Amino acid sequence: MDGLAIATRGLVKRYGAQPALQGLDMNVPTGAVYGFLGPNGAGKTTLMRILVGLLRPDAGEVRLLGEPFHRGDRRRLFGVGSLIEQPAFYPYLSGRDNLRVFAAAGPYTPTTRIDEVLEYVGLRDRARSKVKTYSLGMKQRLGIAVALVSDPQLLLLDEPGNGLDPAGIVAMRELLRFLTAQGKTVLVSSHILPEVQQLADVVGIVDRGRLVREGPLERLLGESAHVRIRVDADEVARVIELLAPRGTELEPPMAGDPSHRWLVVRVTSDHAAAVNQRLAEQGVFVSGLETKSDLEALFLSLTTTLPTGGRVGPPWAEPSAGGRI
Amino acid sequence: MRLLAAEILKIRRRWATYVLESLLLGLMLLVFVLVGIGPRPSGVFGSPFAFPQVYGVVNQFVFGLGSLLAVAFAGAIGGADFTWGVLRVVVARGESRARYILTKAAAIGLFVCGGVVIAFVAGILLTYLLGAMQGSDAGNPITGQSGRDLTRSLALGLPVILERAAIGFAVAVVLRSQIAGIVAGIVLQIGEGIVSLIIIAVTFASRFDPTNPEAAPNLGPIGPEWFQYLPFSIGESVLAEAPQVTQGASDFVLNPVPLTTALIVTFAYLAAALALSALRVERAEITS
Repeated sequence: MDGLAIATRGLVKRYGAQPALQGLDMNVPTGAVYGFLGPNGAGKTTLMRILVGLLRPDAGEVRLLGEPFHRGDRRRLFGVGSLIEQPAFYPYLSGRDNLRVFAAAGPYTPTTRIDEVLEYVGLRDRARSKVKTYSLGMKQRLGIAVALVSDPQLLLLDEPGNGLDPAGIVAMRELLRFLTAQGKTVLVSSHILPEVQQLADVVGIVDRGRLVREGPLERLLGESAHVRIRVDADEVARVIELLAPRGTELEPPMAGDPSHRWLVVRVTSDHAAAVNQRLAEQGVFVSGLETKSDLEALFLSLTTTLPTGGRVGPPWAEPSAGGRI
Repeated sequence: MRLLAAEILKIRRRWATYVLESLLLGLMLLVFVLVGIGPRPSGVFGSPFAFPQVYGVVNQFVFGLGSLLAVAFAGAIGGADFTWGVLRVVVARGESRARYILTKAAAIGLFVCGGVVIAFVAGILLTYLLGAMQGSDAGNPITGQSGRDLTRSLALGLPVILERAAIGFAVAVVLRSQIAGIVAGIVLQIGEGIVSLIIIAVTFASRFDPTNPEAAPNLGPIGPEWFQYLPFSIGESVLAEAPQVTQGASDFVLNPVPLTTALIVTFAYLAAALALSALRVERAEITS
């Protein structure tokens, strides 16, 4: 597990009879932005709570910054900054005073660092205002400042874009990039998939307490690509007849298109030519062909729409066979 | 020290700190003024506003109403971290849970002691003012017998107030709620007093012989009884040793727990309340 900022093995957590994590194995490389995705209730926040010692796992192993971590190893958390769930503050204190009181807990933090992080998150001008007067976005920025105040090596951010305006999201993205350029590791849990797609180097997708996919974003996007073909309405049935018996996953055309139909063929983008060739050999000529790859499609396929558990290539066109049908 | 300074900053910036102290001082001022301008009570108990006994009124106010306010204050501050969800931020930063909660208790203790001393000094000043208004000899509250009595009262009263505040704090931490800490602490304190009175009444009622109404019942004081060792009642035995004037009914019918024992039990409750708070936070699964 060298080179990993976070590693979990067989992590299990139950709330009574309700399983939250069911043997979660995760690998977050050092120096990367790791996008941690999953539907509501998938176990994302539970994992983050375990990683900062708020919860004790029922089974499994956690390593933080290369060392084993148990809930009692509080000093291991000196290298970790976190924003978990919505940010929490003392509403009657100013932003600066909130930072002061949080900085007093845990590792030693020089006072000068407080102004530095207020500058990072763009709150210097409002540092003396009471937090109860802050907007949702300002509270979110202050939450990020609390996470950064000890200059941690590892940042755990749960939905950091919540409440931020577009400029704030761009600023946050730049800040996280700046931090990773300094060798820090960032784990970002988010529902805003396009945001994660812009930000993450590595992605992990969790569903019902298990990690269903993990890897470099580019590789996963390549694997998740699908091909859309447009054929004449009369040819739809024939296309289905040609492709479906071979196990290719097809999404039926949308209703309401009287002349032409788009079919979604779930194959990786490097199989697009093979699909086209196969149809042409059988005398079906497509009038349009697109390959699409996005995180949303991958996410949905893994967490809701793909019962086979993530298979992306057709059985009749293995890339190793030279892409031939 | 960083943590203690942070806790002091948090308490210093809260309105509740000043509201409760102002309430104590305001009520004290009100009572002094009302009684000072009203008719002089007299009778078997003597006048509570004769000097130097009048200092007993200060004791009663500061350690009676003051302890209720201290319980409310400790509950409010102790439970605030759960109300605002900030405990998870502190724990996630790698701070020791037990150290954090005990430091918070220490900061509350400092403010409670400070508040008590301020109220005490204010009470003495009011007494002096009242004495001047009445043309009475107020004694010397610093060097004379009155001074010694006041110092003894303060020395005995502070541990009692701290113990009661610690119980309010522990209730708030164990139940993870500000409101629960305030309400449960006050209800426990008042509830114990009511239970004590009921038991005393039942005990004395049983001394009358209905078959022989002519026989003189034993009206001597009872105790020490088990209920005098309850968390809020034990302090009454400690305070009974502080110079007081207007005594409650229980002072005439109950023998107090010996002072040394009462102090040991008081400190034991104080330590137990803090240990329970630390243990609760140490073991808690923090989900919000």
